[in-house]
Amino acid sequence: MSTPRTLQRLERILVMVPWLLEHPGVPVDEVCERFGVTRDEVAQDLDVLGYCGLPGYGGGDLVEASIVGDRVSVRMADFFRRPLRLSVREAVTLLLAARALAAVDALPESAGLARAIGKLQDALGVDADAGLAIDLRAPGDELLPLLRRAVEERRLVRLVYRSASKAETRQRDVEPWGLVAAQGAWYLQGYCRDAAGARDFRLDRVRDVEVLDEQVQTAEAAASPPVYEPDPDDVSVVLELDPPAWWLLDAVVADAVEERDDGVRVVRLRTPALEWVARLVLQAAPDARTLAPDDLRARVRALADATAARYHPPAG
Amino acid sequence: MERLERLINLVIALRETRRPMPAAEIRRRVAGYGQEDHEAFRRMFERDKADLRALGVPVETAALDRLGEEVGYRIDPKRYDLPAVRLAPDELAALAVALEATGLAQEAGTGLLKLGVDAGDPTSDLGRRSTGLGVDLAAPHRTELMQAQLTRTRVRFRYAPAGRDVSSRTVDPHALVHRRGRWYLVGFDHDRQARRAFRLDRISGPVRTASDAGAFPPPPDVSVDDVVPTVDVGRVQAEARVAPSIAWLVARRARGGGRPDADGWTRFDFEVTDEDVFASWALQFADEFEVLAPASLRARLVERVTAAREVHQ
Repeated sequence: MSTPRTLQRLERILVMVPWLLEHPGVPVDEVCERFGVTRDEVAQDLDVLGYCGLPGYGGGDLVEASIVGDRVSVRMADFFRRPLRLSVREAVTLLLAARALAAVDALPESAGLARAIGKLQDALGVDADAGLAIDLRAPGDELLPLLRRAVEERRLVRLVYRSASKAETRQRDVEPWGLVAAQGAWYLQGYCRDAAGARDFRLDRVRDVEVLDEQVQTAEAAASPPVYEPDPDDVSVVLELDPPAWWLLDAVVADAVEERDDGVRVVRLRTPALEWVARLVLQAAPDARTLAPDDLRARVRALADATAARYHPPAG
Repeated sequence: MERLERLINLVIALRETRRPMPAAEIRRRVAGYGQEDHEAFRRMFERDKADLRALGVPVETAALDRLGEEVGYRIDPKRYDLPAVRLAPDELAALAVALEATGLAQEAGTGLLKLGVDAGDPTSDLGRRSTGLGVDLAAPHRTELMQAQLTRTRVRFRYAPAGRDVSSRTVDPHALVHRRGRWYLVGFDHDRQARRAFRLDRISGPVRTASDAGAFPPPPDVSVDDVVPTVDVGRVQAEARVAPSIAWLVARRARGGGRPDADGWTRFDFEVTDEDVFASWALQFADEFEVLAPASLRARLVERVTAAREVHQ
């Protein structure tokens, strides 16, 4: 028994019938496009509807649903003139999405969104302002309007960018496809010609941007949160973390985290960027300590030595 | 007969009935139930009722006599029907973009399609185009907590703050805040008898409801800055000098522009809330960043670097 599918079909029918009543004689293809279904599925739904109606189920009680000459017709279904009201979950989700996008400044959709939010809140009788706050501000977000235009116009972007993994600043030519807010930062996503691969660029690490005239032909990729994809060449790292350094677990993608009896957590991870991990450990030291590899311990030590020397210049 | 057909017929029958329909009558009159024995009918009807309610269909139970010994069922059309929201086509399109950008289209179910029934243009494609924008709002328990906040329902969960023991908390959810990439629940903590903020990713295990809806009055004051750290709040003035290679990067966090210093370095002023947090942030730049003042912050940095050397011998 495929219950979830049955309920999905029921949900769809309860919203499709009011729409069909509102748009008599609409072409089948339009129904397919709007509800994301095939022509066969539309035909099957209409077929089921033809067996439904008021108790008695005689002539005049049943819904009349048919496809005539490629156009859809539904009659005798006045009880389904209105869609089912929004469930709490649907309403909450719509408001959340709208409020989140409204938190991004200066979008072409901003005005429409503001009006939609107002109407939704009125209809639902809620004042979501009172209980939901979404703040997407982050360093570097002043670049968003410029970069969003570059994404829409598919123009090549030349960045001067400081990479976190190598702690160096270089010029990169990027074919941009999206802008993503994730983990408290904004990222430009695209194909980096210098690295010959897809990359995420954190906007607060962008020193300069130039939008070039060149139009790019990058295949469209959906904007999605940056993810770390392990590579066989990555180095395995083991760290020991006291509670004050547990924030570090939010900054890395761990393979495993174990809590020992003494309350210390041991985290295992893999990374292509040992210099980046060394700086993370320095940031969290001495509550973070390197167990392996030796190369990482040496790097942390070298960074700490250099920093200490800045504060206590060697005599002479 | 298909179950789908039976469910549609049940909705129609309960919507159109004048008086609440007792189970026996449903079994006799609604297409799809007749041929079952009594026990099988009971199970079938209970399941259908539960599934309809889960979809948001308001199936009500009402007493048929004064003693309430016999009950019937009905669907009040006024509670079933979507009130007219009447979005303009561009407003509907903006909502579609928002669902696409936040990746919430699936979670919103048929909500957008429902609103689309009233929104003029029959051909507007409902946002299956890519917008090039993404906002990551993922967090465990977010949907349940938003529902609880909206319906003013008390919740109970186990909470594991960083570096401290797990404890059970009972909370009146006042607000949900997304800030610096994290979700926080702000509410009145009955165990601590105070307003607190909870990070959603530190709630361990399920969130259970601990009351009916409307269990507490709407909170008079929902400002949350006192309990959730804002993007930039500073109380202590600090000064540092930084190397040319990172001056532009540090300038984004500093207050005001920098002043030229020796060797091409730049001096910046900062507002610092938490000296330890600031020290951690500064340490990512290692020897390219030197804290000058206050002396306590400079000492904290030296102390931490010295300790880092000791544990990395």
